[in-house]
Amino acid sequence: MSTDSAQVQPDNKTRRYDRQLRLWAASGQTALENARLLVISGSATSTSILKNLVLPGVGHFTILDSTPVTARDAGNNFFLEGTSSIGKSRAQEAVRLLLELNDGVEGQADTSNLEHILDSNPSYFSAFTLVIAHNLEPKLLERLSALLWADDTLPMLVVVTSAGFLGEFYIQFHEHPIIESHSENTPSLRIDKAFPALQEYASSLDFANMDPTEHGHITYVVILVRALADWKAAHDGKPPQTYEEKKLFKEGLQSMKVKFDEENFDEAEAQAYRCWTETKVPSDISALFQDPQLGTLSSTSPPFFHLLDALRKFSLEPPHTLPLTSSLPDMKANTTNYIELQKLYKARAEEEKEKFKSLLSHPVDDALIDSFVKNAHGLKVLRGKQYGTLDKDPAALASAILASPKAGATHLALSALARVSSSSPTEEELTAAAQALLPPGTELPEEFENAVGEIARSPTADLPNTAAFLGGLVAQEVIKMITKQYVPIESYCVIDLVETWTGII
Amino acid sequence: MATTSTDWPDRYYDIDQILEKPGPRTDPDFLAGDGVKEFLRTKAKILVIGAGGLGCEILANLALTGFKDIHVIDMDTIDISNLNRQFLFRPKDVGRPKAIVAAEFIMNRVPGVQVTPYYGKIQDKGDDYYLQFNLVICGLDSVEARRWMSATLVNLVDPENPESLKPLIDGGTEGFRGQARVILPTITSCYECSLDMLNKPTAFPICTIANTPRQPEHCIEWASVLEWPRIHGPDKKLDNDDPEHITWLYNLASARAKEFNIEGVTWSLTQGVVKNIIPAIASTNAIIAASCCNEAFKIATSSAAFLNNYFMLIGTDGVYSYTFEHEKRDDCPVCGGSSLDLPISSEMTVEQLIELLIERQDVQIKKPSLSSDSTQIYLQAPPDLEAATRPNLTKKVQDLVAAGGEITVTSRSLPFSLSLRISYT
Ligand SMILES: [Zn+2]
Repeated sequence: MSTDSAQVQPDNKTRRYDRQLRLWAASGQTALENARLLVISGSATSTSILKNLVLPGVGHFTILDSTPVTARDAGNNFFLEGTSSIGKSRAQEAVRLLLELNDGVEGQADTSNLEHILDSNPSYFSAFTLVIAHNLEPKLLERLSALLWADDTLPMLVVVTSAGFLGEFYIQFHEHPIIESHSENTPSLRIDKAFPALQEYASSLDFANMDPTEHGHITYVVILVRALADWKAAHDGKPPQTYEEKKLFKEGLQSMKVKFDEENFDEAEAQAYRCWTETKVPSDISALFQDPQLGTLSSTSPPFFHLLDALRKFSLEPPHTLPLTSSLPDMKANTTNYIELQKLYKARAEEEKEKFKSLLSHPVDDALIDSFVKNAHGLKVLRGKQYGTLDKDPAALASAILASPKAGATHLALSALARVSSSSPTEEELTAAAQALLPPGTELPEEFENAVGEIARSPTADLPNTAAFLGGLVAQEVIKMITKQYVPIESYCVIDLVETWTGII
Repeated sequence: MATTSTDWPDRYYDIDQILEKPGPRTDPDFLAGDGVKEFLRTKAKILVIGAGGLGCEILANLALTGFKDIHVIDMDTIDISNLNRQFLFRPKDVGRPKAIVAAEFIMNRVPGVQVTPYYGKIQDKGDDYYLQFNLVICGLDSVEARRWMSATLVNLVDPENPESLKPLIDGGTEGFRGQARVILPTITSCYECSLDMLNKPTAFPICTIANTPRQPEHCIEWASVLEWPRIHGPDKKLDNDDPEHITWLYNLASARAKEFNIEGVTWSLTQGVVKNIIPAIASTNAIIAASCCNEAFKIATSSAAFLNNYFMLIGTDGVYSYTFEHEKRDDCPVCGGSSLDLPISSEMTVEQLIELLIERQDVQIKKPSLSSDSTQIYLQAPPDLEAATRPNLTKKVQDLVAAGGEITVTSRSLPFSLSLRISYT
């Protein structure tokens, strides 16, 4: 081969990140590399989270921790060096050892006091993309979450709490639009609303006089478009509707075979539902058209909402669908027929994209438009609440617990722990604190006893396995928030490692 | 005393909160206090299979939770693409055996922990080796190796000797998804019992690859499956790990794609298809490894009930998990004790039966050899027996095995044989 292999083979960085680039691509990687994290405390859980973000190449992290390494830290934290770290700054030791994981990452230890920063330098936080706090003292947490919530240009906050085998975490964010949700739904092929070039192509084929080999290689898309057109012509322009008609339609497909083993016609039968399932804007996408941001759209609105508004306008006109995408699934066909069909879809998708662009009221970057149109069937907008909102609303908390008693009871027990002052509270103290969060007279769920007993057993334990488990879960969510890919949690994620489950409340 | 010379006061302050008193769901037999600490820290001996993405995490967690005698087996050496998650390795370690580097790292970082590496295959070790451990944790990506390990531990069980039952904790990940499970060999569902839960590997029909390519993958398969052996002959095997080989395939696949107007052949896709690359990230491995080690900790200490028996996690859309009891299969060829009923057509030939076995999701066997009580039906090796039994391939199964008769299926890749009870339709 004449091609110089050095030109096509990936460079070292791409090779290093190969297994993750297959999940979030170069765009996700760039977002990760531009992100700046602040992690409050150098606890075992904090370093477990950071490890999973330093390895994939987050741009920068700061550990804010004014305390020295204790004997117990040295025992349960992998990013400390046993007894030799005892007495040194926990932030500095952890940063030093975490940085060994990846040359491409910048890390800093900050031994200042959080309370002091909150008092005298609140703009400190604006240098970060995201703040993570583990087992932070409730009063400081309250101040921090209020500060970060007050201004939506300030970073998101991830609050992580753990005690023994139990734990939970919450992401405080205002608004999180997602284009690349990696939805498992596939976009419509629009067989029921075939675009003119596809319709023409299907009508032009002479099925009856075709070479038998060619006949076995027509794509199911074309077979269905043709069969549907023929059916509609004979049925007042209506697709098959009743069970009997659908059966008849499928039998018609089978009778088009010239040989019994034509798999393309079997595929057409299996996909026949596409003929009577109307392609519309999916309901979760049309729900986004009610988004408040669309009502107040201006040149400073995020591009996502300009795109969403153009999508809304696009869907108002016939054929009342999302723009066509050019991605075609594989199907039984010879190369020529498949590529021909692919060209038709590409050409049409290009036309519809131009149409879509003409509806934009504000210029948006072309690459973003491409991505938006391609992923339009999986768009999401998440809206969050301030941390602690649920615990301040007794009625809402009670009904959330009723809806998911296991996760709810565990969350309640952890919230109770934050509200007692003793470092070794009794079950009675914890139960009273829990009861105080609920409307007077509310009966605690039976699952609460298990949760509160476990908390009273190990109220301050940062167990290595729990830390690692939370470390993985929190890092997954942080990656999803930063890359704006996949779908993060919208409320508390609660874990119980006695029975090994996770739950959402 | 529950401390060893390298332990310092408060070293286990966090873990001891768990070991010094029971929780509400702890088994009444749990003996809180020094006894359990001493067992964990001076007696328990644990084996980790795999020092890769899961293995690195597993070793670190076990060491921190107080296991002091850890063994690790891995046959691989370190590749640059491991460094985004296998956090005990550095660029300078590329090319060195994973088991050895991982063991060195853990012993350096966590004082007083002995990690004994073995750089080689699990199949190199015999029953006596596996009998020395209290627990086995498997963090592998190979289905074949996991089947072997699970079957080996099932076969190890001697009903007369309770010590011969070695709990197996198995973890696996793919992208944002993963699972962890606890297998009590012969008592709960084994790895083989759940084989049908695996995704079917994508297979492209040869005629598509050869004649009607439509996707970039078809062009890549054409280059690797058909062109490589045709051009290089039978002696030069394709090495998936050799970038020059991938480049050769990429160039050929690109040219073919161009000829057929197919878009999307890239170097990375070529490598992905040829090596069957599964996306992998540190965070998912951390979750699953933590879950495996947490079960090991609970089993070794009885400080809490252990998982019964399967935990599945999907992290792509929120955090979704499902904890359930996977049922033991009565006709499991490894732990079920009875044969698998297989109704087949009376017209089916031996060759077709072999194809059927290779395709079946709950069997998944490569190159099976078949025999009955009285006949060697078809043997893949040695060559003289293969030649002697080859004429049977075109015979009908019915002419060799009576209805209700049994066929024993063996394969070099598996440590057990599969019994089929044949009936004809
Ligand atoms: Zn089994």
